[in-house]
Amino acid sequence: MSANPNSTDKPGRVSAAIVYLTIAFLLMPLLAIVPVSFTGARYLSMPKGNWSLRHYEALITNPVWFDSIKLSLGIALASAAIATMFAVMFGLGLWYVRNRFSTMLAALVFLPMVMPPVVSAIILYFFETSLIDIAPWIGFDSIGGVILAHVVVATPFALVTFMVSLSQIDRRIDMAARGLGASLWQSIFWIILPNARFGIISAAFFAFILSWEEISVTLFITSFNVVTLPRQMWNGMRDNIDPAIAAISVILISLTVLGILGRDLWRWQRARVAKAA
Amino acid sequence: MGVKTKIMSDHFKRDCFEILTRRAAAGEIDRRSFVKAAALLLSVPVAMRAKMAFAGDQLVIANWGGDAIEAFQKAFGERFTQETGIAVRIDGSGPTEGAIKAQITSGKVIWDVVDADANLGIAFGKEGVLEALDYNVIDRAKIRKGYDYEFGTAGYFFSYVLAYDSAKFSDEAPKSPADFWNVDKFPGKRTMYKWMNGMLEAALLADGVKPEELYPLNIERALAKIEELKPHIISFWGSGAESQQLLLEGEATMGYIWNTRAILLGRDTSDQIKWGYEGGFLNSSTWITPKGNPAGRDNAMRFIASSQDALSQVALFDLLGNGPANPQADALIPDDKKALNCVSPEAEAKQVTLSAEWYADNYSSALEKFLALVSK
Amino acid sequence: MTRSWMRYAILLAPLPLFLVASYVLPFFVVAKWSVTDPEPGLGQYIRIFTDPTVQVVLIRTLRICVIVTLVSVTLAYAIAYNWVFGPPKRQRLIEYCVLIPFWISVLIRAFGWLILLRNNGIINESLMSVGVIKEPLALVRNELGSIIGMTHFLIPFAVFPLASALRQVDPRVPQAASGLGAGRMRIFWTVTLPMTMPGVLGASIIVFVFALGFFITPAILSGGRSVMVAEFIYLQLFQTVNWGLAAAISVVLLVIVAALGALLHKVARLDKLVG
Repeated sequence: MSANPNSTDKPGRVSAAIVYLTIAFLLMPLLAIVPVSFTGARYLSMPKGNWSLRHYEALITNPVWFDSIKLSLGIALASAAIATMFAVMFGLGLWYVRNRFSTMLAALVFLPMVMPPVVSAIILYFFETSLIDIAPWIGFDSIGGVILAHVVVATPFALVTFMVSLSQIDRRIDMAARGLGASLWQSIFWIILPNARFGIISAAFFAFILSWEEISVTLFITSFNVVTLPRQMWNGMRDNIDPAIAAISVILISLTVLGILGRDLWRWQRARVAKAA
Repeated sequence: MGVKTKIMSDHFKRDCFEILTRRAAAGEIDRRSFVKAAALLLSVPVAMRAKMAFAGDQLVIANWGGDAIEAFQKAFGERFTQETGIAVRIDGSGPTEGAIKAQITSGKVIWDVVDADANLGIAFGKEGVLEALDYNVIDRAKIRKGYDYEFGTAGYFFSYVLAYDSAKFSDEAPKSPADFWNVDKFPGKRTMYKWMNGMLEAALLADGVKPEELYPLNIERALAKIEELKPHIISFWGSGAESQQLLLEGEATMGYIWNTRAILLGRDTSDQIKWGYEGGFLNSSTWITPKGNPAGRDNAMRFIASSQDALSQVALFDLLGNGPANPQADALIPDDKKALNCVSPEAEAKQVTLSAEWYADNYSSALEKFLALVSK
Repeated sequence: MTRSWMRYAILLAPLPLFLVASYVLPFFVVAKWSVTDPEPGLGQYIRIFTDPTVQVVLIRTLRICVIVTLVSVTLAYAIAYNWVFGPPKRQRLIEYCVLIPFWISVLIRAFGWLILLRNNGIINESLMSVGVIKEPLALVRNELGSIIGMTHFLIPFAVFPLASALRQVDPRVPQAASGLGAGRMRIFWTVTLPMTMPGVLGASIIVFVFALGFFITPAILSGGRSVMVAEFIYLQLFQTVNWGLAAAISVVLLVIVAALGALLHKVARLDKLVG
């Protein structure tokens, strides 16, 4: 993906050094976590000779983990899709319309981001309990309700990410397209969105991660019908932290690594085929 | 005409349904017949069915999660379901005072019976938002004396006990709050409870206040004593797991922790971490029922009554180490485990019992001062 | 004219409508408590400006947020830069390192940091065995611990907007600068960095507000000691049940962030973000 291998803005030694140190920093707690998942104890701890696979076994034999992973995945995908759609539409709107009114709208939209998640939790709790009678499918302790809350929380972050990328697009390409007779929608779909694709992907990824990890609000708007993975993990803030969580982390990390490896392999294969042809 | 028939039939179904749920709730029909009859009415609109899930066939217990979810189900839930046919579901999100208040304020109570701190039964009771307990259903004889409150009754007992690393103090064991504060004789880092219960009392006892003169607590004096110890406190633990970790990994040599955790620690370290009820603080947890609970007041009362059963109480003790609320349960505890019971007469005599009445009136304001000191 | 206005409205309207219904209106219900709970009046606001406890928390929070933002965004910029422009091997390595931390639950991460940083943790024990230090360094159970844990959490979040900003830099611009004889550092400071300023701003906003709402990580890694505003609000909402104060602090927080936003707008031209 190297943008321009011949350019002079290749990173220098200083920046490389910073990067390697930062990478070490990012990976450090990880190195501590992998052994923890193999502890033989029933609580989080570094194994001292008592290595065991019992927490991986627990993941397989106890359906609640698998169920909550499936549920969280579904909720995160749905929330990311909706949040990205909202963010892209609104971001484009802001890009086109720049006046006092749109600035005010923007300030309004960032409200959920500025509020600490605990405050959002209580706000959404009151909102969603009031929906129990009118619209239970997006009310308290429903999957729809969790998606709704996650969209509220994640959209502003997705919006910032998308706007970063939008702001770097040269307005003249839009004007040129429109000057050549493209409609607003044609210009958006053919010119602007393709140019902002990194921003859209980042925004969607962000929204996905935020929903996947969300606990503060989820803890408060669910009870026992909807148990997301973080909620399953947090069942018991006052109580035990189950080492199975470490095992889940290790599995997810392995899947990520396999995913990237698989992609690279596929690319490499494709390149070879292209070369051969 | 078609529309009118539909409305009529909806009304009728709703009525049938109400009768059904009421009878099921009152225990006049068992769960199986209820489900069968409900199935006949399955064409009821979705919204009503959602309500049906909320009422009649289930009872929701709110507790603090973790191992307690399974343990409550085994100790209390299974018995109740067997007795009544009503399924018990457990919401482990933690019934903090704020969470209970939010439910009451929103007007949508979803918890039937709440495992709350004892002071909350008194405080919320005064506000008139709790159901008064029905002592015709609940048996006063099965509650330890003094814990049969108007708006709540003890569900189980637990303690804040002094646990220490015996490898560090082999000559003499710390046994009292005064020892806990004595960093010359017992050097090393300490850990204390972040949410204050029992900690003010410990500070005052260490400062020379007599146990019988503790209440009303002199907050300023207690805080001054805690400030004195603060440089030696490695961490204020907020969760049971945290307190366990601190002692297990040797970060703290001594701590005031829950007896349930201390039992686990003793077991997991082959008694290297030692503890006792001497210098401990006994506390009770309280069953309360918010007004307007979904399964109805009667079912909530029946659940509380069912949970009093001595066997259930012993089961909970076995699973989690909580002291039984029913005094008759003490005798059922096997001899080798009797010493672990935090509320046996012997253990009770060694401890100071926290005053739920004092906490009901002062908890918020005292906690705020306490936390201001902790985070200064 | 009217029709074109309508088309923009189709873009602009859905999100605000959705949020007004699901968040803004319910927010006012909560905000109202700040002047009604426990009694009508401005008592809670007066308390914020007179109670040293609240001020300590607010100032500590701002301090930690600023430090975390500066450190995270700087390090994330280096990462993003190398991710986009570095040699392919390094790019791949970065990709792993940025994506992997996302999958580790905050609880586990905090535990990982404790294993590493505590007094008898891996880092202190190795430093002591090598003889660099005699007494363990206080790396955790204090403010430093919070900052380390938060920075670790937020770097990957900052990398994404920065990387997408860097990817959109037209490679011909730095090339042209180079052709005109500018050195590498000069190109970075005068060309690349200014061109990616929207990314820096976006990343800073994300990290800063995220840090503002942080609660669990600082609670665990500071040993319960350095309470930040999100935890303080949690206390007021759920433990001491002083909803009026919680609401008032939320409103004040909103004003502070809005003011910071306005300041940023003045000095750094936030509107660049809007294009």
